[in-house]
Amino acid sequence: MKATLAPSSLISLPRQKASSLRSPSLLINSQRPSSALMTTKTASRGSVAVTAAATSSVEALREGIAEFYNETSGLWEEIWGDHMHHGFYDPDSSVQLSDSGHREAQIRMIEESLRFAGVTEEEKKIKRVVDVGCGIGGSSRYIASKFGAECIGITLSPVQAKRANDLAAAQSLSQKVSFQVADALEQPFEDGTFDLVWSMESGEHMPDKAKFVKELVRVAAPGGRIIIVTWCHRNLSQGEESLQPWEQNLLDRICKTFYLPAWCSTSDYVDLLQSLSLQDIKCADWSENVAPFWPAVIRTALTWKGLVSLLRSGMKSIKGALTMPLMIEGYKKGVIKFGIITCQKPL
Amino acid sequence: MRLIVHNMLTCNVKGVVNKFPLKIVAEKVVKKEVDFNLDFLWHMLAKIEWKALVDGARSLGYSELPDHAEALESNESFLKKFHHALLELHLEEGSLVCKETGRKFPVKKGVPNMLLHEDEV
Repeated sequence: MKATLAPSSLISLPRQKASSLRSPSLLINSQRPSSALMTTKTASRGSVAVTAAATSSVEALREGIAEFYNETSGLWEEIWGDHMHHGFYDPDSSVQLSDSGHREAQIRMIEESLRFAGVTEEEKKIKRVVDVGCGIGGSSRYIASKFGAECIGITLSPVQAKRANDLAAAQSLSQKVSFQVADALEQPFEDGTFDLVWSMESGEHMPDKAKFVKELVRVAAPGGRIIIVTWCHRNLSQGEESLQPWEQNLLDRICKTFYLPAWCSTSDYVDLLQSLSLQDIKCADWSENVAPFWPAVIRTALTWKGLVSLLRSGMKSIKGALTMPLMIEGYKKGVIKFGIITCQKPL
Repeated sequence: MRLIVHNMLTCNVKGVVNKFPLKIVAEKVVKKEVDFNLDFLWHMLAKIEWKALVDGARSLGYSELPDHAEALESNESFLKKFHHALLELHLEEGSLVCKETGRKFPVKKGVPNMLLHEDEV
């Protein structure tokens, strides 16, 4: 079905055959020389083949993610500021934006996501928020200021958590926001704690999408809203078991440098939420609304300041930068989709 | 880590029943002043697990909180102590200990690390 471009439109996805709740097979290409594991099973529909060896490669992935962000967060913040996510743009906008235009687009991404989820009308009910995969806390601080809510952020990276806390203190938001090192798949909170569960571009790092979604749902309060904004691969067509080999190959090359496990589709997330009896499930394809982002990131990387900072920052950053054109290719060829999935937990 | 956060953290090791609150072992505590906000304090008073807060404050070296908070919402002296304990005491270095398993979650540079090992999941 053709995606409409208005951000708040609801796309009804082709109904996929109901399959048993799946944990996508792990596809972990770890950079770490000490990891002997290269478990390379292609993610395919309906397969639940998480091997025994996969468990320790999950730890390797977690460490890889932490190290990646420990190394690259400072660089990103220097060039782009404290929001580590795509900007939201009007589709087909040909105007080349200034740096501040892109920062505004990143703020707009937060606002559009809140609006899509129907949160904006229910502001007063939002008292406690969790930011899952919080980066250096851009979203947390923004949402805490906007709603006057208490916001807890979790990240795998100790460097990010410390920086996020420091920025909160500098903005006099220490009362409202705080950041911890914790695993999104094992959140250290009681059930039903949060009125808003926020996952902005962190889902792509989760090796077990089913567990990830279950945790998001567990910590959401009855009546609370869940917002997932994430990189996905395209929805599979009826009868299609997996992506084409060339598509998988493209994603594999991206996975390696960005520490991503197997990708899933937007409709996989919808299926998971439906299986957990969430209500008011909505999703949209915002790929057209984020198209200017990677070209802009590449442009900033190619400035004198960008290049010098990259070289100072280290190999992970450099490899990450070299992988960015693949993201553009992925979007252009319709393999990669930028998806938003939101829902409400029943009372 | 401030006590407002400690009041939410649980031990997430598989199979643990007594997962809240975590015991605090303090090595370095710092005091940082925060603006007093009455509405926020009243809102938090309704949500806070009081005993966990009192015990936590004691572990951070502050014993002024009363054992019970009922009917004290209008008491200025009480509110100031509540504010101080909840928001102004920072555990910079130390650990959070699960009461059931003894598992220690380190706190470094003010950041708790709640990551589990493979065998705890």
